[in-house]
Formats: sequence, structure tokens, C-alpha cells
Amino acid sequence: MKSFVYFKIQCPIVAVLLLLSLTSSPCSAAAPSWRSLTPIQREALAPMVGQWDILPEIQRNRLLKTAKYYPKMTPEQKQRYHDRLEKWSKLTPEQREAARKRYRAFKKLPANERERIKQKLKAEQAKKAQQSAASGVSATTVTNQQ
Amino acid sequence: MTNKLNPGKIVQLLTISTQQMDEATLSALANARQNALNRQSVRAPVFTLASASAHSSVRWTDRLIPHSVQPWIAAGLLAAILFAGTSYWQNVQEQQIDETDVAILTSDLPIEVFVN
Repeated sequence: MKSFVYFKIQCPIVAVLLLLSLTSSPCSAAAPSWRSLTPIQREALAPMVGQWDILPEIQRNRLLKTAKYYPKMTPEQKQRYHDRLEKWSKLTPEQREAARKRYRAFKKLPANERERIKQKLKAEQAKKAQQSAASGVSATTVTNQQ
Repeated sequence: MTNKLNPGKIVQLLTISTQQMDEATLSALANARQNALNRQSVRAPVFTLASASAHSSVRWTDRLIPHSVQPWIAAGLLAAILFAGTSYWQNVQEQQIDETDVAILTSDLPIEVFVN
């Protein structure tokens, strides 16, 4: 009798655990091919046209989510987004996660500290550009690489 | 004092003692018992799901839903709550990752600052 009572109590709990294990498993929607993207998505992800269909599904889904923000970006942001997409997509998942952690850490810094770092980086960039120009490499090539 | 009293014997002794009581005491005891019962009926578990119901006939939940189905309904509700909570948490996490990715890709700082 006691075991029957336990069975009655445990059975739904087991069912709940099974249901949750099924539903909580990571299952992302199938990523669309380049042809099935909307014109806005194609515009946002234009630098990826040649590699889109060979990218892993999880990465395509992730990039599609970032492309949702594209219409609201300023022209400068759109340019940076396009310039960086390819490099970003070539990073390993671990590298991207490390970059996210660094960005979050940077955002947590006080505003004056963030500004100081930005100024320092700009000065370093300018110095590098001058050195490159002096050694015969054009400054525009350096800027494009960055 | 090694005599052991069984419940039957106790009942018998109580009955004998009760018969020896005067009317006024018996009446007072009867009134007290009735008052206690009245108070208990007011505190009866109207909306409790898990109270012992040895003294009551049928719980209101048993009238609405068959007793054998109740654990499944409770489990279903639990699953729904856990699923909704997990989905919400996952969505929040996903949105945070998307926003961070966009911020890195559009930041006025070079991407190398965060990648290297």
C-alpha cells in the first residue's frame, strides 16, 4: 500500500522531470539560407554573402539576431558593423565569449575611466598611423585593417 | 502500578465516572463540547488543498477534480511554471548576448580591444 502511494506521488514528478529535460534541451530554429533572407537582412549581412550558407546554423542564427538592430543603427555604426562582421564570424565561440566578457567589464568601468581608455587608444592609433605612413605604408590601409 | 490499561478499559472507566457525575457538570461538559465543535466547523479547511480530512466527508477539490487526477494536474502546473521560468530566463540571456554582440560590432573602439 505504501509503495503504491509512493508510486502515485513519484509518477507525475518523474513525468515533469522528463518533460523539462525534453523542453529545456537547446534546440534552435533552422537557420535560413541566403536566398530566403529578407532584403533588410541581406543588406545588414552583406559582407557575409559568400560564406553565409557554409556558416554553422547557431552562428547564422546569432548573426541574424544582431541584424535585427541594423535598421536602427547610425550610418557610422552600420559601417563599423559591416567592417567587423567577417572578422567576428571567424572567431571561435570561446573567443567571442571572451570578447563579450571584456566588453561587459569595460562597460562597468566609470565613464571617466572609459573615456581615458578611449583617448589612449586613439592616441596609439594615431601614432601607429604616423609610423606606418613614415615607413611607406599608407595610413588608409591601416585604418581599414582596424 | 504495573497495571496496564488498554483503551477499552479506559473507555469503561470513563463511562463509569461519567455516570457518577451530577447533571450540572454533565450539562456543562456537553455545552463545552458543542462550543468546541462549533468553533471547529468555522475553522474547517474550506480552501486548503492538503489538510487531513479524516473528519470531513469530501474535500472541495475532490468534488471538482477526481482524486487520482490531482497529482497529474499539480505536476502539469509545476511543469508549466518551470518551463515558463526557464524560457523567460533563456530569452533574457539570449537578448543580453545579442545586445553585447551588436555593441562590440558597432562600438567606437576597435574590435581588437575586446578580442585580443
